[in-house]
Amino acid sequence: MTDTTYLIIGGSAAGMAAAHTIRQLDPDGALTVLSDEPEAPYFRPLIPLLVSGKKDAADMAMNGAGPYREAGISIHTGCRAEKVQLPERTVVLNNGHTIAFEKVLFATGSRPYIPPDLAGADAPGVFALRTLEDARNMTMRLEKTRHAVMLGGGLLNLKAAFALLEKGVKVTLAVRSPEILSQLMEPEDTGRIRSALDAAGLTVMTGLSVKGIVADSRGVTGVALNDGRELPCEMVCIGKGVRPNVEFLKGSGIQTDGGIVADIHTACNLADTFTAGDVAVTHDPMSGDRIMTALWTNAVEMGRCAGRNMADFPTAYTGTFGVLNATQVADEPFVSMGTVHVTESDLEVHRSRTDSAYRKIVFNQTGDRLIGALFSGDITNAGLYRYVIREKMPVSSFKQHLVDHTLHYGHLAMA
Amino acid sequence: MTQQKKIFVRTDRCVGCQSCTMACAVAHSRSKSLFGAVFETPRPKSRIYVEWVAPDNKVPLVCRHCEDAPCMHACISGAISKDENGVVKTDEDKCIGCWTCVMVCPFGVIGRHLETGKAYRCDQCPDRDIPACVDACPTDALVYETVDIYAGARRKYAADELVTGQEEPSS
Repeated sequence: MTDTTYLIIGGSAAGMAAAHTIRQLDPDGALTVLSDEPEAPYFRPLIPLLVSGKKDAADMAMNGAGPYREAGISIHTGCRAEKVQLPERTVVLNNGHTIAFEKVLFATGSRPYIPPDLAGADAPGVFALRTLEDARNMTMRLEKTRHAVMLGGGLLNLKAAFALLEKGVKVTLAVRSPEILSQLMEPEDTGRIRSALDAAGLTVMTGLSVKGIVADSRGVTGVALNDGRELPCEMVCIGKGVRPNVEFLKGSGIQTDGGIVADIHTACNLADTFTAGDVAVTHDPMSGDRIMTALWTNAVEMGRCAGRNMADFPTAYTGTFGVLNATQVADEPFVSMGTVHVTESDLEVHRSRTDSAYRKIVFNQTGDRLIGALFSGDITNAGLYRYVIREKMPVSSFKQHLVDHTLHYGHLAMA
Repeated sequence: MTQQKKIFVRTDRCVGCQSCTMACAVAHSRSKSLFGAVFETPRPKSRIYVEWVAPDNKVPLVCRHCEDAPCMHACISGAISKDENGVVKTDEDKCIGCWTCVMVCPFGVIGRHLETGKAYRCDQCPDRDIPACVDACPTDALVYETVDIYAGARRKYAADELVTGQEEPSS
């Protein structure tokens, strides 16, 4: 393995976005990407579709798809960085090699959080759907699976649940919170989605306390609850959030605070070191809070920004909303962004329910700035709301259109 | 490199007749005729929208094929790319209908096809010399030109107005 000008540690959203950006700005500098996964970079959010059988691994490859079309990027799979030596600027790999670099991007992402006190989490048939390999293993377990229990009511588990439903598996979503999707909305906002999940045949159990996973020699046989009940099942999927991959930086002098701390230019605390994606600690432009997000779209945006900075085109990263998600579960599309948790706040909140849609529009205390929006059923023009939030636009001249969901770009252009 | 043409909108000339939306939907139908398009399933969709702003402004809105298209970078399935002519395209086979593009487009010009579960947008009519909407516009509110030529023409009009004190006829 040869030394390199640009070293990117991590071959997913942030790393690949940075690599392609660097290549566009600097056609000649040696550019190396390390990925600890065995596969070439792929679109991670698509892996539930491998389980459902709607896509195969080849359909998910990043290379040549979307904006990822640059040549001259040297990608090494199966390579994990074990140790970073600064200021020597070298990285020691799991295969024993050492690579010297001039600039480095830490884009090592995150991994599923497995509660340490959860008994039986290592039994066959227990998954945390994160990688293509996880998806393949899950697929292989399908023929033994009549009932799957999903621990955690987040979006990733919902997507995995639907993939399993499509394969004819009975699925129960077991949630500790009083409601599903608690990171993305409040209990009263979930009505339409819950109905869609019910209609799709998913069983949702909320307010559950799980004691542990029960297994025998052939793998998982059930989930034991603290109230003494047991849910018999042949598969468990853990979706309890993620944790940043920072362990390889131990002793490097790189500042971490949960994740890797990034400044406004995506740089770390030591010269010529940068970070982006799930592993990076960034900021919410609305609140100014330090946040970490685990979202493909955010990782790409920050990765592109880091790429520009590494190629000597100084670019500020504007941060991201703590909540920013669009998706469709069952036939119900929804978007949640900005500040949407408003209970016991003095924010100005407008809610609307019709037969086909629910929305919640959140303004600041003085009512002159939009700070959050949640749409369920009808997500038309959600991008405009994001724009209004992000640009902190004064909203007085088009506020009623925001509230009534009649906003279009003409209002902003002529505001 | 020759500059590619883009669709420009002159809101001062739009009378809100919707000829463009009709022509767009027909151009993106299988039958390519209004009579046929009306009966097609899935329903052909217009990719251009004419909105209204008080007191009485009509605003045609269509994908701008952004230089640094946010939808393309935000897409979680690699379905959106830019072709050699600068046209931002959604690959229907790759689109999974997650609507992330809708969430990040600041112009609101990406549509959701509810029957197919796919996102759609202006493709600048690759099989036509002039996009159908531009062809159909009776007031020249839609202009298909390169940036340089369009900007040059606009500068000339503005200069003429200054010199003669007369406004360019708006239709």
